[in-house]
Amino acid sequence: MHIPLVIIGGGLSGLAAALRFARFIPDVLVLEKHSRVGGLNSYYYRNNRLFETGLHAITNYAPPKVKSAPLNRLLRQLKIKRSELDLHQQNQSEIRFLDCESLVFSNDFSLFDAEVAAKFPAGHDGFLKLLRLINEYDPFQPLPFISARKIIQEHLQDQLLTDMLLCPLMFYGSSIEDDMDLGQFIIMFRAIFLEGMFRPGGTIKDLLDLLLKHYQDHGGTIRTKAAVSRIISKGSSIHGVELANGEEISCDYLLSTIGSEETFALLEKPYPGESLPRLGFVETIFEIQAETILPKAADRTIIFYNAAEKFTYRQPDQLVDFNSGVICMPQNFQDLPPRPFKEVRTTHLANYDQWNSLKNDKSSYNSTKDNIALNSLPIAEKILGNFAENIVYRDTFTPLTIERFTAKKKGAIYGNPVKIKDGDIGYNNLYLAGTDQGFLGIIGSMLSGVSIVNQHILPCL
Amino acid sequence: MTRDAIKDLILEIIEDIDEDADFETLQPEKPLRDQLDLDSMDFLDIVMELRKRHKLQIPEEDYPELATLDSCVNYLEPLLTDA
Repeated sequence: MHIPLVIIGGGLSGLAAALRFARFIPDVLVLEKHSRVGGLNSYYYRNNRLFETGLHAITNYAPPKVKSAPLNRLLRQLKIKRSELDLHQQNQSEIRFLDCESLVFSNDFSLFDAEVAAKFPAGHDGFLKLLRLINEYDPFQPLPFISARKIIQEHLQDQLLTDMLLCPLMFYGSSIEDDMDLGQFIIMFRAIFLEGMFRPGGTIKDLLDLLLKHYQDHGGTIRTKAAVSRIISKGSSIHGVELANGEEISCDYLLSTIGSEETFALLEKPYPGESLPRLGFVETIFEIQAETILPKAADRTIIFYNAAEKFTYRQPDQLVDFNSGVICMPQNFQDLPPRPFKEVRTTHLANYDQWNSLKNDKSSYNSTKDNIALNSLPIAEKILGNFAENIVYRDTFTPLTIERFTAKKKGAIYGNPVKIKDGDIGYNNLYLAGTDQGFLGIIGSMLSGVSIVNQHILPCL
Repeated sequence: MTRDAIKDLILEIIEDIDEDADFETLQPEKPLRDQLDLDSMDFLDIVMELRKRHKLQIPEEDYPELATLDSCVNYLEPLLTDA
C-alpha cells in the first residue's frame, strides 16, 4: 500500500493537518493507536454519560471580524464555517493566590487591565509596557530560549504580579519548570488574556466528529487501533511505516504528531537531545448534582490558584502538589444548554515516577488515586464553597492514565520541554507537528498541524 | 482562457477562502494580501486551488508572481491558454 501522506496520531494536530491536506489531495491516511480519536482531548463513557478527558476551555477566542486571529485563520484554512462550531464564551475566570490577592479576567481585556491597575497600582505602568512588548513581539521567530520570567520581572518589578501572570499561562501550556520561553509566554498571554476562552455547546466529541466528517467528505482515510511499531527509514529518507500487526505502508511524506522523543523511538534512533524532566498532572472530575450552587465562585469558569507562600511550577517531590492548580467549572460558559449534572475539575502537578512505582500493585494504585481525589476536594471546597455532599460520581486521571491513553511519554501533557518550532527533525520527508512543535492548546495544536503541512508538504507535492 | 476569465477565476478562489472579501475597492495593480487582509497561509490556498482545478503546478519560487490581480493574470495567461 502506498499513500502520499501518512500522519501518525489522530489528535487535534493530526486531524487538522489531515483535513488541510485532504482539501487539496484526498490521498492521506491518519493512523491512531487508540480506539478513539482526539489524543489529549478525547472522551469516554461512564454511567451512560460522556466525560471529556482534556478539555477545560478552548483558548484563542476571537470575534468573527478579526481575520488575523488564530481561530479565524484556522477556520479558513480548514474551510469550516464558524456557525458549525457552537461557540460559548467564558463567564469570568480568576487567578487567586489564597490569603493574598486575586485577579479576575474575562474575554474583555479591559477587565483584567482594570484589575491589575486597582490591585497593583505601582506595577501598572510596567504592565502597560509589558503589554506593548507582547503586542509588538514576533513570537514565532526561531530564537534560542529567552527567560520570560526575567523579562516580566524587569518590566513589573513585582514578584507577586509576575507569579500571578505566569500561573495560568504555565498551567495551560508550559512544559518547562518555573519559567517559560518568552515566545511561548507571549503566545499564551495573547491566547488567554488578550483573546480569551470559550467552549463548544456540546462536547469535545462534537468538534472531533465535525473534523472527521469534513476530512472524510474530502476523501481522507483514518484507521483507529492502528499503532505504528516502526518508521522505515534509509539514511535521512523515510520509506514508510510498519504497523503493530506487521502491515507495511509506504508513503512520500510522513507527519508525526506523537512527540519528538517518541518519534525517534519509532525510528529506532537515539534521541539527539537531552532528556529533561517532564511535567505530569493529575486531574479529578467531581460530577455534582445540577442544582448545586457553589457559593464562593458561582459564575467562575476557571480558577487558577496558589496556596503556597511562593508559587512554584515544577515536578513535585511527592505524588501530587496540592499547593497550586486549576479548578474548572465547565458549565460556567455563557448560554450553555442545561446538562443533567455539573462538574468541578481539579488539576495539580504530579510526579510520574512515584505514580509509576505503584503501577504493579493495582489495589494500592487505586487507593492512592482515591486518596488524591479526597485530598483535592477540601482545597476545591475552600475556594468554591462546599459541594462534597452533592457529588454523584468521581474519577481521577494520573500521569499513568494519560500515558496509557495518549502515549505521551511520562503522561506529560505539554510534552518535551524542548520545542522544534519548524517541525524539522533532520529528515527529508518526515516532519513533526503537535505538542512538541510548540503550539499548544486546541487551536494552537490544530494550527501546528496546518502550518507544518503548509510549510513543508503541500508546496512540494 | 481570456484575461477576464482568469481574473474571475482568481476572485472566485478568493471568495471561496473568505466569503466576506470586499472586491468593490480592489485595485488590480496593488498587492492582494494587503487589500484583502490575507496572510501567507490563505495565499497558499490560491496556489493549491489552481492546482486542483487546472492541474497547474506553480513552483514556490513563482509565488511572488501572484502578488497582485494584474500579475496573476499576466503569469497565468500563457499557462491557461487551453483551459
